[in-house]
Amino acid sequence: MTESAGNKKEDCHAANGVKPGRNGMVKNHHHHHQYQKQEKVYHAACNGELYSRPFIESFEETPMLVAVLTYMGYGILTIFGYLRDFMREWKIEKCHIAREREEQKDFVPLYQDFENFYTRNLYMRIRDSWNRPICGVPGAKFDLVERSSKDYNWTFEYTGRVVKNVINLGSYNYLGFAENTGSCATAAGDVTVKFGVGVASTRQEMGNLDRHEELEKLVASFLGVESAMAFAMGFATNSMNIPAIAGKGCLILSDELNHASLVLGARLSGSTIRVFKHNNMQSLEKLLRDAIVHGQPRTHRPWKKILILVEGIYSMEGSIIRLPEVIALKKKYKAYLYLDEAHSIGALGPSGRGVVEYFGLDPKDVDIMMGTFTKSFGASGGYIGGRKDLIDYLRTHSHSAIYATSMSPPVLEQIITSMKCIMGEDGMTIGRSRIQRLAANTVYFRRRLREMGFIIYGNNDSPVVPMMLYMPAKIGAFGREMLKRNIGVVVVGFPATPIIESRARFCISAAHSKEMLDRALDVISEVGDLLQLKYSRHKVLPSLDRPFDETTYEENEE
Amino acid sequence: MALGDAWKQLSWFYYQYLLVTALYMLEPWERTVFNSLLITVAAMAVYTGYVFMPQHIMAILHYFEVVQ
Repeated sequence: MTESAGNKKEDCHAANGVKPGRNGMVKNHHHHHQYQKQEKVYHAACNGELYSRPFIESFEETPMLVAVLTYMGYGILTIFGYLRDFMREWKIEKCHIAREREEQKDFVPLYQDFENFYTRNLYMRIRDSWNRPICGVPGAKFDLVERSSKDYNWTFEYTGRVVKNVINLGSYNYLGFAENTGSCATAAGDVTVKFGVGVASTRQEMGNLDRHEELEKLVASFLGVESAMAFAMGFATNSMNIPAIAGKGCLILSDELNHASLVLGARLSGSTIRVFKHNNMQSLEKLLRDAIVHGQPRTHRPWKKILILVEGIYSMEGSIIRLPEVIALKKKYKAYLYLDEAHSIGALGPSGRGVVEYFGLDPKDVDIMMGTFTKSFGASGGYIGGRKDLIDYLRTHSHSAIYATSMSPPVLEQIITSMKCIMGEDGMTIGRSRIQRLAANTVYFRRRLREMGFIIYGNNDSPVVPMMLYMPAKIGAFGREMLKRNIGVVVVGFPATPIIESRARFCISAAHSKEMLDRALDVISEVGDLLQLKYSRHKVLPSLDRPFDETTYEENEE
Repeated sequence: MALGDAWKQLSWFYYQYLLVTALYMLEPWERTVFNSLLITVAAMAVYTGYVFMPQHIMAILHYFEVVQ
């Protein structure tokens, strides 16, 4: 049943489907060794299995020395944080943080002083890497307003200069539609002249324009579903619609690293929430089995429905959901699947239809397909697609439809034009060439970064590239050094990531030319040598995808 | 020229030390406090080593029965 590691190289990437006679565990074998030559020949020969293409994901383990030094760095910062707090308390130093007035000191505290310890003492010191004001369109290059600070980032002044043509490695501009020239911008301008900018009503009252209807038909045909509905805000799409489809007596199984909007929507719905380990199908299957066997907590009645919440691409890890296995599990245990394709729509798949097309699956298998227009379409807002009766139900029962203003006409037009461009309906091949360029850029960038020796997380095909920094001082140093060399990056630390795993997150775009990527890679290598960021020891952590054997089931017992 | 290169190399090492201990994020007076503490502790360790070195060496030689 289990194969030794020796056979894995010959074993072409096969995953057996769920066999009814067995105990139902889904087996899959994945490549651990990315440095072996992978001939295309024997991959094409594997068919009829769950995965039709190689699924190569790596999350290299943190080197022990780096982890220890990172904790030491945080320890030193904490000690100095206590020292500064002491000085602020005893008025040796001026306090810049909001505090209550003297007369209100005995009241119930309004500002929880200690909880902002991290913000006051760590975040503020390197705050100049975030919230940088941009004064132009965030395309492949953008212009940045220069700021300086005299009191160590508590206040900023503008020097009056503008840093021009900073290469943009941080915007979610996957297909390059964030531009102020071209057919999308012209169409948006024309529609503003006709409709104005504000809609001044909600969808259910007077805010339902004919362009909304056309957009929804277009989205439904783009995704391959029966019907779709568009909302004005992507975050609100998740947080306002999950309460409409799940309620008390339902079970929500949500991935460990789901986005805040999914978590908020799940909590607002009032259902029971259980969390499974990130992208771990054994953990999900165990939760499903336990849910069906034991039912609701005290009464042991069956759950009204079981909803699995996953995302297409997880933007902090760069990992792609194992959709074939999730769908196989969902069909076996009769649960519903809610797929949030915020980062993967437009960015994955040979024609940009998202993660469902990337794996070659049927869109009708996913019950609720949600996505946003912010990332690949250069607009804002979200959509939900699915069966017609589901969408008709949402039109009447969703909070967003009843209370939130509907989408603004120029944003609508940008989405319609860019979607038609991607689908190729305007007769030109711009859409397809952009998708191919994004895929080529992604593979090239990831390969070069890995060859240089950085630790990169995530799947080989995901355009989100997190590069590990680990140490707190390197977060601020990396942001600043890259800006000095005219490249804008996004650096992320706690609490968005675990405390020692801070990272820089690059978002590749189809608008990046190869020269821009080469320049960016040279600069990243230079800064990586300066800051000693090349931690990789080419050791891939195998524990995320292992062949199933009896011991993996017991590991999930807690 | 060798002195200039040595100085560059030293300042690069100092920069790495600042990054690893997170002193890079602290204000100059905090760096002074930390560095003085570190140098004081290191100096005390070296001085103690210097004072007790003859005694330790005699004890080792006695243990290995090189000297009575």
